[in-house]
Amino acid sequence: MNDAEEDIPIVPPEPGEVGLVEPHDFVHAQPFTFESGQVLPGFTLRYETYGRLNAARDNTVVICHALSGDHHCAGIHALTDAKPGWWNNFIGPGKAIDTNQFFVLCANVLGGCQGSSGPSSTDPRTGRPFGLAFPFVTIRDMVHAQKLLCDHLGLASLAAVIGGSMGGMLVLQWGIEYPAFVRRLIPLATTARESAQAIAFNEVGRQAIMQDPEWNHGDYPKGGGPRVGLAVARMMAHITYLSDESMDQKFGRRRTKRLTPATSGLPPAGANAPAAYTFDVQFEVESYLRHQGESFINRFDANSYLYITRALDHFDLTAAHGSLEQAFAAVEAGTLSVAFTSDWLFPSAQNREIVLALLRAGKRASYAELATNLGHDSFLLESEDLYTLVRSFLGSPRSP
Amino acid sequence: MNKLVEKRTVDMQIIGDWVEPGSRVLDLGCGRGVLLDYLQQTKQVRGLGVDLDFHKILGCVRRGVTAYQGDMEAFMRAFPDRFFDRVICSRTVQELADPAAVILEALRAGRAVTVGFVNHGYWKNRVDAFFHGRKPRNPVYTTEWFESRPANPVSIADFERFCAAKGITITRRALLRGDWHTPCGFRPNLFAGYALYDLTR
Repeated sequence: MNDAEEDIPIVPPEPGEVGLVEPHDFVHAQPFTFESGQVLPGFTLRYETYGRLNAARDNTVVICHALSGDHHCAGIHALTDAKPGWWNNFIGPGKAIDTNQFFVLCANVLGGCQGSSGPSSTDPRTGRPFGLAFPFVTIRDMVHAQKLLCDHLGLASLAAVIGGSMGGMLVLQWGIEYPAFVRRLIPLATTARESAQAIAFNEVGRQAIMQDPEWNHGDYPKGGGPRVGLAVARMMAHITYLSDESMDQKFGRRRTKRLTPATSGLPPAGANAPAAYTFDVQFEVESYLRHQGESFINRFDANSYLYITRALDHFDLTAAHGSLEQAFAAVEAGTLSVAFTSDWLFPSAQNREIVLALLRAGKRASYAELATNLGHDSFLLESEDLYTLVRSFLGSPRSP
Repeated sequence: MNKLVEKRTVDMQIIGDWVEPGSRVLDLGCGRGVLLDYLQQTKQVRGLGVDLDFHKILGCVRRGVTAYQGDMEAFMRAFPDRFFDRVICSRTVQELADPAAVILEALRAGRAVTVGFVNHGYWKNRVDAFFHGRKPRNPVYTTEWFESRPANPVSIADFERFCAAKGITITRRALLRGDWHTPCGFRPNLFAGYALYDLTR
C-alpha cells in the first residue's frame, strides 16, 4: 500500500558460463571425531571452486548440495560433457550467484560417494571399502568437515552459505556452528526438523537397499552391491521430489512407444497374454522412473545412501537445542528463506517455522514463497524471480 | 503520481516522528519496504515487514529491509505479547477482511500500534457519492469501480467509534487536510483527507 510506484527495473548483466572446471581434493590428515564419538584418522573432501577469492578473502559463497548431489555444481569437466553441473543455471558470471563477484565453493559431503570420504572409500586397515565400518555421519559432521576445508583455503569469512533440501539443513547448521564466520544464510526448500513423513520415505528407500541380497550387510565390492534395491529407492524418492500436477503435465497417461520387460533377464511378465495386458513397462512415467533408477546406480553408492538419509532423519534442531529459538540464539548472519508452494516433502510451513523462530530469537530473517507446480525439485528450477531474489539478497545494501 | 509521492513523504515523516529510535518496528502490508527503509535510515529501527505478494518481498530484500511473505494475522500470532515496540498499519486497514481482528492482534503483539488511512468521510468523497452517485475517485482512490479490488473504506468517525467500543486508547492523532499536510482542527471527519492514529491497549 505504501508504494504504488514501480521499482527501478532490474537489468541483470548478460549471463556467461563458468566453463571448464576441475575438482580438487582436500586431504585432512589429522584425526576427525564424529558427533557419534567415532574417530577417523583423516578424511578427504572433493570440491570445486569458481570465480576468484578477493584480497580480503571474504567473498566466498559456499554451496551445499542435496542428498544425491555432489561438488560439481557448475561448469563442465570436458567439452564433450552432455550436461553441466547441477546448478549451472544459478552459478556463473552475471548469474544469480555471480562468479565475477563471488568465489564459489562446493564440496561433496562427508559420507558421500563422489570423491569425499564415505562408506565406499577404502579403509586403510583392511584395504577394502569401509562399508558399515564407516562412522555414523550427521549434518553437523558434514559442516565441521567443510569448515576445515574453508580453514585450509585460508578463508577469512563467508559472504553466504546457500543450499536446498539437505543443503538447506547444512546452511542452518553453518549459521549455528560458526556464527561469526558467515554473513548470510540462504536455506531453500528445507526444514529444521525432519518430519515423520520424510523419515518414512527414507526408511522405505533403506529397506529396498537392505532387503536386496546383494547388499550383504554393506559388505560388497566396488561397482557391485544392491543395484536393484538402490534403483527402487531412487525411483521412490524421485516421486517425492515431484508433484501430482507436474507429473501429470510431464507424462499424463501417455504410453511408451515400445514395451520393455518389467524385469530384466526374465521372460516378459504375463507372457501368454496379449501385449497390452502384461506387467511390462507401458506408461511413460514408469519408463522415466526406471531411467532415473538406472542412471542413479551408476553414480551413487548404496551405503552412502543409507548414511546420508540417516543423517537427514537425525536432523532436528529443536531436539538438539531445547527449542528452535535456542538453536538460533547464536546466529549472527542475516537469513533469506525460500519455499515453494508445491513442495510437499519440505512444505512451506516448515520453512516458515525456521524464519519465525529466527525472528523470535531477534535475528534478521526474510521469507519468500514461489508459486510453482514442480514440487520439492522447484528449488532447482529456472526462475528469474528466484534469481533476482537471491542476487538482491547477496547484494542488499545493509549488512544484515 | 508525483502528488502521491509527496503525500507519502508527509505520511512517512509523521510516522518517523512517532517512532522511537532503535525500536523494533513491524509494518503490516509493507509493500516494497519504502517506509521501513526510511525508518531504518532516519531512526535506525530494526524493521520487519509483512506482505502477501512475492514481488513486494523482493522489493524489500533489494532495499535491505527484512520481510516475510504471508498472512499478517497468522504472522503476529507466532509472536509473544508486546514483542514489537510498534506495529504499523498504514494505508492497509481498508484492504483487510477483518480489520478489528488485525488491530487487536497488533495491540497484543506490539506495545503501540500506528494506523493510517485515507478518510472516507472527506468531503470530496462525499461529493462523488452524493452528487455523482459513483464510487469516489481521487488521487488516492485512482481506479474505476470495475478495475478495483474489494475495499472496506473507513472514515475518521468509524475509526474513533471502533476504538471507543473496543476500549483502545488513542495516544496521538494526526488529522490532515486534503493536501495531506496542513493539520485539520475543524470537523475532521468532513475536512480531513488523511488520518494517522497512535494506539495502545
